Parts: sequence; structure tokens; C-alpha cells
Amino acid sequence: MLTYAAKRVAATIPVMAIVAFLVFSLLYIAPGDPAAIIAGDQATPADVDRIRESLGLDRPFVVRFAEWVWRVLNGDLGQSIFTNLSVTHMIGQRIQPTVSLMVLTLILTICVAVPMGVAAAAKQGTWIDRLVMMVSVSGFSVPVFVVGYLMAYVFALQLDLFPVQGYTPIANGIGPWLSNLVLPVVTLSAAFVALIARVTRATMLEVLSQDYVRTARAKGVSQRPVLFVHALKNAAVPVITVIGLGVASLIGGAVVTESVFAIPGVGRLIVDAILRRDYPVIQGCVLMFSFLYVLVNLGVDLLYTVFDPRIRY
Amino acid sequence: MKRRDFLAATAAGATAIGALAAPQLAAAQGSRVLRFVPQANLSSMDAVAGTQYVVRNAALMVWDTLYGVNSQLEPQPQMCEGHQVSDDFKTWTFKLRPGLTFHDGGKVTTRDVLASLKRWMVRDTMGQVITARLDALEALDDQSFRFRLNKPFTKMLFALGKNNAPVALIMPERIAATDPFKLISDYVGSGPMKFNKAEWVPGSKAIFEKFAEYPVRSEAGDWLSGGKRMMFDRIEWQILPDAATATAALQNGEIDWWEQPIPDVVPLLKRNANINVDISDPLGNIGSLRMNHLHPPFNDVRVRRAVMMALNQQDYMQAVVGDDAKLWKLLPSFFTPGTPVYTEEGGDILKGPRRYEEARKLLAEAGYKGEKIILCVATDVAITKAEGDVTADMLAKIGMNVDYQALDWGTVGARRAKKDPPGQGGWHIFHTWHAGADCINPAPYTALDAGGDKAWFGWPNSPEVQARIGDWYAAADLEAEKKAIVAINKASFDYVTYGPTGFFLQYQAWRKNISGVVKAPFPVFWGVQKT
Amino acid sequence: MSTTLLSPVDVAVAPALPDVLPPRRARGRVGMFIHRHPTIFAGGLMLAVFLFIAVFAPYLGTADPTAIAPARRTRPPSELFWFGSDMLGRDVYSRVLYGTRISLAVGFSVAILSSIIGLFIGLVSGFTRWVDAIVMRIMDGLMSIPSILLAIALMALTRGDWKNVVVAITVAEVPRVARLVRGVVLTLREQPYVEAAVASGTRVPKIIWKHILPNTLAPIIVQATFICASAMITEAILSFIGAGTPPTIPSWGNIMAEGRALWQVKPHIVFFPALFLSLTVFAVNLLGDGLRDALDPRLAKRI
Repeated sequence: MLTYAAKRVAATIPVMAIVAFLVFSLLYIAPGDPAAIIAGDQATPADVDRIRESLGLDRPFVVRFAEWVWRVLNGDLGQSIFTNLSVTHMIGQRIQPTVSLMVLTLILTICVAVPMGVAAAAKQGTWIDRLVMMVSVSGFSVPVFVVGYLMAYVFALQLDLFPVQGYTPIANGIGPWLSNLVLPVVTLSAAFVALIARVTRATMLEVLSQDYVRTARAKGVSQRPVLFVHALKNAAVPVITVIGLGVASLIGGAVVTESVFAIPGVGRLIVDAILRRDYPVIQGCVLMFSFLYVLVNLGVDLLYTVFDPRIRY
Repeated sequence: MKRRDFLAATAAGATAIGALAAPQLAAAQGSRVLRFVPQANLSSMDAVAGTQYVVRNAALMVWDTLYGVNSQLEPQPQMCEGHQVSDDFKTWTFKLRPGLTFHDGGKVTTRDVLASLKRWMVRDTMGQVITARLDALEALDDQSFRFRLNKPFTKMLFALGKNNAPVALIMPERIAATDPFKLISDYVGSGPMKFNKAEWVPGSKAIFEKFAEYPVRSEAGDWLSGGKRMMFDRIEWQILPDAATATAALQNGEIDWWEQPIPDVVPLLKRNANINVDISDPLGNIGSLRMNHLHPPFNDVRVRRAVMMALNQQDYMQAVVGDDAKLWKLLPSFFTPGTPVYTEEGGDILKGPRRYEEARKLLAEAGYKGEKIILCVATDVAITKAEGDVTADMLAKIGMNVDYQALDWGTVGARRAKKDPPGQGGWHIFHTWHAGADCINPAPYTALDAGGDKAWFGWPNSPEVQARIGDWYAAADLEAEKKAIVAINKASFDYVTYGPTGFFLQYQAWRKNISGVVKAPFPVFWGVQKT
Repeated sequence: MSTTLLSPVDVAVAPALPDVLPPRRARGRVGMFIHRHPTIFAGGLMLAVFLFIAVFAPYLGTADPTAIAPARRTRPPSELFWFGSDMLGRDVYSRVLYGTRISLAVGFSVAILSSIIGLFIGLVSGFTRWVDAIVMRIMDGLMSIPSILLAIALMALTRGDWKNVVVAITVAEVPRVARLVRGVVLTLREQPYVEAAVASGTRVPKIIWKHILPNTLAPIIVQATFICASAMITEAILSFIGAGTPPTIPSWGNIMAEGRALWQVKPHIVFFPALFLSLTVFAVNLLGDGLRDALDPRLAKRI
């Protein structure tokens, strides 16, 4: 167990190294010039050249990559070339909305999707099953921004129940914080619920056909304990796996959701940065997100051993 | 169901949901906070090294100027008490008014002023004109300083008080010592608002707080002149790049003032009893089709003229501002309509029905044989996107082979600076627009310059245009200026420095409980109040 | 959203993958087929309709989808403009119909490309330990960058062409297929008959051809349909953020991106492409579901 954990942790290091290299080289060869953007509309070409030089954008790849890695290892993600603010600071300012959005989405998803999946599996072949499957297929057929605008239109503009946009820090009270997040969370959950419900259904069906479940049933254990004690416990492993893997697509969805609801999160930060070619910010954010993803999945791997003692490494 | 009914209906047993719906009330935070949506993201605060309009608008709150133009574009004393000028317009002496302090408590002295002016003169066109004739810029004492010139310069006060970037903002000496080509990162000024750097979230919000020690002038505030009286303790800029979100937020009262609502949602906003909508700046904007004069085919004036023959300003303007005919005007001119020197003389090529056939012939005559025309379009900016789409259609009509390059504004910014041949990373055409306030005369009008390599992107090179601009600088009175402007307009059309795509106005919208919003080429925050 | 995420799970859930496909019975009558596989039928039929629209777009009463007419902008749906006109006076009906081409082309291209590349990478890593160690680390690295971010970053590099969109999305999808195939290979290698074949000195290509490919085909086909659906949505999202197909091309994502600022005042501009996109993705997902049930005997035998 311990060696397994150590191995898994060690395995994340090359992954992170590869991510770092991919991200840096990708953006290095990108066209688009931050110097020109800083200079503004009325600047002359000579101005732009001088700004580029003063930013050090004219130096070779290896030098800039080496410097960057060294600084990252020292906990410094660099400075935005537009705002002169440190990237760590900028991410710090925006991490709370994004994490709030994602954590609430995860909670909502699990609360909704797992019962849906269990119900569908228990009533396999009935209208309940078909309904759940239909709802879930529709769930990821409708693009997240369409869901978002619909939600905003109905619940914010027509019914005036929730704010259309923005974010209130949790320090200003749980109520205001939740109120701003309700619509984005529901929006982002739509597709994720669909996914988790399907996986839960599929794995439950798998487990329900296993011998020990049949035995339990034969012994006269009633339906509910069979479903929730025996089956669900065993279905937990794949469901957790999908949740771990789903974090990546959740981040993708968060980018769009944050745009639609004007939430000042890391997702919007990175899209803005990419469109403006703010290299240090892009690199810092992608690295941060990848780190988050790797961390979550490391946690998932380690959770396996808790849920399924049969797994030995 | 309105919020309150909802609250009442769920009051019992649903306190959690009640709490969810309440924050809109809590967020209002009283009448001392203004929530403003600017035209674009505020990514820096340096209106000397950078020239983005949004940066300038923010900087005008934080930094003060020696002089400031009023709504008639006449420079009035602001940080200065007054000035003396010699009869030959060669010696300008200024005295600062007492009591000026920076946000960090330091007194404003002539050392700060001179350092600031020196940095500004490196970057600004008018500043460069001053530099070219400068013998000395010297402090007489802590409160007064003097320009000594070797040639007369009549437009000194306008240069110091003009509203287009680079603005002659006065910063503490230590900040003004920054390389003029590097952005400053210390935002201490002496203006009526302080910038709250700690709460700044670029791409999302920028916070300004009232500077209590600001010595407000006794005159009424008028654009950059007079008393800059702040009625708010706090101004929150919220960046909402998505127009749909901003529309909804204004309707819901989550924001107070939206600088540039897109024209299509204006009818919707006008129908809302709680919202005022009005033209933001009567000086408006001039759309621009910019051609690269360095490379074929647009290095041939006949090809540029062919484009002008086919250029249909009505198409451009409807695409940019929509159906409302009050919002745009045909503009057979390079200058801002409604100003004293405005002229349409020489602009015949843009008038009347479009001459596609003639344009095709002219293209053939110039030897154009279907080479690819690289059209760089910034698709993330509504105005340039609309202009680009119309141009693609228009060029196709006259038989040009268009290569439509969809880029973002940042990439267009980089691309247009390249002088390489269009096939090797350069460009043929891009679009932008100029604030009408910057096109009133040649002084703030970078895009009009035709000085070749040193000119703005596209690098038009016409000694004739340059000579006529020189005449304007030398003009002693309004009549002489008018004459010079007519000559510049004619020469510019003859040479086709760039293609004006029309004159258009933009709206601003604010909640009805906000009063004191005025028309200007920038948002004027002083004098605005919330009830 | 991508159901493609399901794939690694399938491997985890069912270490013993099917070693034989269900016996193919003669499906003589269409009725029988519809009865047995209603989702395949429904999904397939809908998809066929969209394919028809894509192929015959010019003959379905459309005008030039890119011809602008600013004087007739933002008209509501009418006899002249069936789906209304957009902010440049272009006909939304024509644009949406032509947009079908882009969406399907992107979806199919990404599905096919990522299947082929993923299959190749998966097979190689499944059989060669040292390659496996390196390639799978790279795949892990790619997978730990959220696919939309990766695609946006790639689009920032290239621009200008729907083919680049295909490449960008493919790069993001390949690791998933590769992992799926590798998982299948690793599981199958443990199977007695494969072990026997290896022991008896059968060459690797033959093992792949005889034992591995037939068994990876079914999950890959299912996977490919889901990738197709996910690619169509990703394309729309990329355009929505302003990093997708060039705006001169009337793709559904572009039409929505252009119309989204007006969703309160002129909802028709966003509504029709959103409807078409949702229906197409729905059709593909339905087809994928049906294929999964039909090709996966674990589930199929209980239906």
C-alpha cells in the first residue's frame, strides 16, 4: 500500500514535466505579439519593437524555458506581461470562484446522478430506465452555453430568482455566495449528471449480475439493502474513477460557464490570457489545472484501496 | 413571480433559499458605490506608454493633468493656476496651484511635473513636435516651470490638456522615471480617485476609491476641466466581455452604468422604465479600412482608388451600428463632422452610387491579376468583425481574391506591425476605428500621418499630405486652419491614405437612479450621483 | 461533454472483455431490427437526415450562406428568411443547413482520425513495454490538460482552417482511445488462448490480426461515435469562445457565437443552430448507445 502510494506519487512527476514542456513549447511558437497589444492602437512599429525588447521576448527558446522551469521550482510562476501582477497572485485571486463552482457541481452531480443511475439499474428495462437514459443522453447533447443562457433567461430575467452574473466571496456569507452560484452550478452539472448517471447505471447492472448479489437475493435479502449496501459499494470504484477523470472536462465546462455568468474564475483568466497571449499566465494556469487534475486522480487511485480491498498492488 | 413574492412564499422552512435570493439587495451597498461596465478589459494603467481607450479612461480618474479640455475642446487650467506666454509663442511659463498632493501623501512639485512631461514627450506626437523645437524645459521653483522654444508653438495648452492618449498625466517623479516604453506598475497619482491595486482582478474588476484630500476646483466640472467633484466613495469597474450578460445585468440592476451597449440591445434597454440610454459621445467614431502601402497591389494608388470607388459606407455602417439611421452618417471626409474645421471637399470618390465596373477596370489597368489579398480581421471585436465581413464581400464584388484571416485583436495588433510581404507573415488590409475626438485636426490624428516608415501601420508615404499637415501646424488663425484642413482632406483622398468606412455614434446606458452622466469621448465620473 | 470518458471505466469494470462477438443472426426483416435495436434505428435515421441535409444543402431552397445584405439585418423568420436573417443580413436558414456540413465533417474526421491514431498507439504500447512506459506518460500528460484548454491553445497556434480544428480536437481525444486500446490489449494478453498463441510462437502481427483487432473493434466503434458527438460540441464551444472555425465559414458554433449577444432581442439567430446541434449530437449519442448495447454482450444478453 505505502509503496504503491509512493509509486503513484513518483509517477506524477514525469507527467507534470511533460505537461510543463508541452505548454511552454506550444505557446512559444504561437503567433501573436503581446508587445503590440501593450503598445495599443496608436503606437508606431518602433515603439512595439522597443517594448518587445524590454520584455525579453526576443531571447531564444531554451533560455526562456530554463529560466521559467527554475522559477517555477522556486514557487514563482512569473508575472503577467499585461498587468505586471504575479501569476501566483492572479490565480490566488480567482481560485475561490472556480473551486466553489467545481466542488458544488460535484456535490450536486453525485446527489442527483447516483440515485438516478441506481434507480435505472434497479428498474432496468422499465420506463424509469428509459427516462433516465433519455434524460442523460439529452444532458450531454445540449451544449453547456445553451443550457447556461436558458437558465439565465428563465430563472434570472423572467423569474428574478437569482442574479444573472457575478460572484460573491464566501466570506460575505453563505447565502449570497450560493445565490450567485446556483445557476452556474446547475448549468455545469447538466452534462456531468448525464455522464455519472450512465456510468452508475452501467456498473450497477454489472454488479447486480454478479454471483454474490444473486446469492444475497436468493438468501432473501430485500431489494433496498442489496442495491445500496452490496451493489453500490462495489459500483463505487468505477464511479469514483469517472469522477476523477471527469474533473478535466469539468474544468473545460467551467471555462464556458464562467464566461456565460461572468464569474471571475481561473477559467476565464486562462481564456483571456490565451486570446491576449499573456504567456506567463497561460503557463501558470495550465500547470495549475494539470496539477489539480493529477492530484485528484492520485487521490482517486488511493481511494480504490479503501473501497475495494481486493485491489492489491 | 417577483423576488419578494418568492421570498414570502418560501419564508417558512426555506430560510436557506431565502438567503439565496437576498444578496441582490445586500449587494446594492448604498448610494456611495458606482458599478460601471467599461468598453473593454483594463489590463494596465499606463496611458502614456499605451494608447488603449479603456486605459486612458481609467487613468483620467487617477492622474490629473496640468490643463484639461472642456466640452468645447478648449484647454482650461486644471493643476495649473495659470500661464504666461510670450508674444512670439516661444516662452511658456506655468505655475501650479497650491495644495496638490499625491495619493501617497507627497506634495506635487515641479520635479514631478518635469519628469512626467519628459516621459510623455517621448511617446506623444504633439510632445515630439514640442521636443523638436525645445531649447529648455526648466523649473523656476517648486511651483513654477517654463518651456523655452526656438520656434513658435501656439498649441501648447491643447497639448498639455488634450484627452487622447498619450495624455500628459502628472505622476510622482519616481514613477515618471520609468522607461517610456515600459508600463508603469506603481499607480500613484494626484487625481480625484485612488486605484485599489490589492482588489484589482484583471479581466474581472478594477476598484477606484475616493481620494479625500483632492483639492476640487471651484468651477463646475466640464470634461477634463473645472471641479472634479466625486460623489462616490468607490467606483467598481466590472469587466463583462459578453454583451448578453451585460444586458441582463443592467436590466436586473446588478450594474449602474454600461459604457458601450451594443446597438442591437438598445431598443430593449429603452423599453425598460429603469434605464436611460443616450449617445455617449457626439464626436463619435470614424471607421477605418487600412491598406498596406508597402506592397503590391496596394502600393499602386489606382488599386487603392478602385477600393474607394466600391466602398459602400452604408453597408459598413449598418453592419456596425444596426438599423438606427440616427446612429451613423456617410463621411466623405477624413475629419470629424460637426467640428469648426470639418470639410467634405475632395471626398467625391465616396459619394453617389458605387462604381464596381469602373473599379474592376481600374484594377485591370493597374495590373491586378487575382493575387491573394490578405484581409486580417479581429473577430473578437464586434466593430472590426463587421467591417471585415463587409470588406470581404466588397472586394469579391470587384473581382479581388480575398484571403480572410480570422484573428483576434491581439494577433491583428502583432500582424499589422510587420512590414514583411503579405505572403510571408505580413498583411494587406486590416480594420479599426478612431474616436472622433482624435480626428478633429492633425495634432492628435496619428492615422492621418503619411510620413512613410514613421507613419502609422500601413506606412502611407505622401510628401504632399505631409506638407499640407505642416501648413496646419503653421496656421495662425481659424481661417488659415480651415484652408489647411481642406487641402489635407483633398490630398489624403487623392493619395488614399486609408479608407474611411463612415461616421458612427455609440450609446451609453445607465440606471435611472444615476444622474449627471454627460456626453463625452470618455466616461466622466465627476458630478455623477446615485440616489 | 464527452462520454469518451467512459472508455477507461469499461476496462476497469470488465477486466474480462468479450472474447467473441454475439453470434450474428440473420436480420432479415427491417421490422425485426427496429424491434431489437430501436435506438440504433432512431439515431441512425436522424443522422441520415442530417447527412442528407449536409450533402444536398445547395438544393434545399438555400441562398448563398455568406452573402451579406446589411440593409436587411436581424429580420425575424418569415417567408423570405425561413429562419430569419443575422446581423449582416445573411440568411440563417441557409447558414444552418450549410453548417451541417462543418459539424458532421468535424465530428466524423475527429472520430476516424483519433480512432486510427489511438488504435496504433494503443497496440504499440500494449505490446512493447519500453514504448509503453514513454508513450503512456505522454498520453497521461496530454490527458491531464483539460481537452478544451488544449484545443484552445492549439487553435491559438494555427487558426484559419476547419482542418486545424479537427487536428486540435483529435490531439485531445487520441489519448483516450489509446488508453482504451491498450487496456484491451493488456487484458487480452492475459487470456489463455492468447497466451497459448504467444507460447506457440505465433508472430505479433498475426496475434493482433486474429485475436486483438476483432475484439477491439467493437469498443472502438462505440467509442468513435461518442468521440464524434463530443467533437461536434467541442467545435461549437471553440467557436463560442472565439477560437474555432474561421467566422467566414457558417458553422453552427460560429452562427451561435455571432448571435449570442442578441439572444434576448433576436433569439432566432441562436435558436436554430442550437437546435440543429443538439439534435445531431443527440442522434449520434443515441446511435452510440444502441451500438454499445448491440455490440456489448454483457449488457446485450440481458436486454
